[in-house]
Amino acid sequence: MNTDDINLAYKIRHALNENLDNLPASTTDRLAAARAAALARKKAHATDAPVRANQQRASFDLGALFSMQWVARAAVVAPLLLMAAGMVGVYQYEREQRAAELAELDAAVLSDDLPLTAYTDHGFNAYLAQQQQAQQQPQRAQ
Amino acid sequence: MAPTTYRMATDKELNDFLESVERRAFKQAAYAVRKDEAALDIVQDAMIKLAEKYGDKPLAELPMLFQRILQNTILDYFRREKVRNTWISLFGGLGRRDDDDEDFDILASYEAEEGTSAAESSADQVERAETLRLIEEEIQKLPARQREAFLMRYWQDMDVAETAQAMGCSEGSVKTHCSRATHSLQKALEAKGIKL
Repeated sequence: MNTDDINLAYKIRHALNENLDNLPASTTDRLAAARAAALARKKAHATDAPVRANQQRASFDLGALFSMQWVARAAVVAPLLLMAAGMVGVYQYEREQRAAELAELDAAVLSDDLPLTAYTDHGFNAYLAQQQQAQQQPQRAQ
Repeated sequence: MAPTTYRMATDKELNDFLESVERRAFKQAAYAVRKDEAALDIVQDAMIKLAEKYGDKPLAELPMLFQRILQNTILDYFRREKVRNTWISLFGGLGRRDDDDEDFDILASYEAEEGTSAAESSADQVERAETLRLIEEEIQKLPARQREAFLMRYWQDMDVAETAQAMGCSEGSVKTHCSRATHSLQKALEAKGIKL
């Protein structure tokens, strides 16, 4: 802001101050009453003020930590964070379950008496089918 | 424990402080809400909050804290009014479907009340009073943030840092708001032929 702007700002300030003297008596009375009410509330509070000041230095300001504004923000952010943490947890759990199932399957296949190559051997498959038929035929004959 | 350097404001100091700011605070609230009764309630609430919650703060911190509380109380008033007007327009609309309520403007409910200082008639006043009234009118027309910054800086004697803290914005923003407010006021007053 240049000097002209500042001059104008101070002239406006002067004009506003002039208007302050023209406030109606009812308004100034009401303001005085409001001031008295505020001071009365302060007196009740001032008795525990020194204790609170010491507590602030000893630990930390619990009042500020749990002030309404802070609580209002936390009320919005905390559920979102919880939901995000929950989703990550579920994802991790599902992944571990899946890995455990696959590992179990792999372990069963690898520790079986039958070698792995047997599953890809067509001749072995044909032999198994033949064996099955041979077992069924005597049963029918009986 | 180390000796404390911090001294809370005494009752007399708090009283003197409130006395020195109460009229300006009332006007500030009246510029924003445009209703004298509501402005008085807002100032009373702000004073009580300051005394109750920050009565143990040092005197030097009180101007900034009071301004912050005052602005928040004004905002709370607007929030309450918005909710109230929403209900009124909702139920009002149920009974009168054919009325011209379609272009309902929430600002319309903030028309200055008759008889308040905000709507003071100037017909029978001297030229100076008319000028003062026009200046107040132009200040009311400023965008809220510009008005807050301008009044805190030049009327409440707060420095840029204090104003920024009270408004919850950067010092740069305060300077921008003040500069824009001053230019808008200059233009508006020139357009009305007012020379200060």
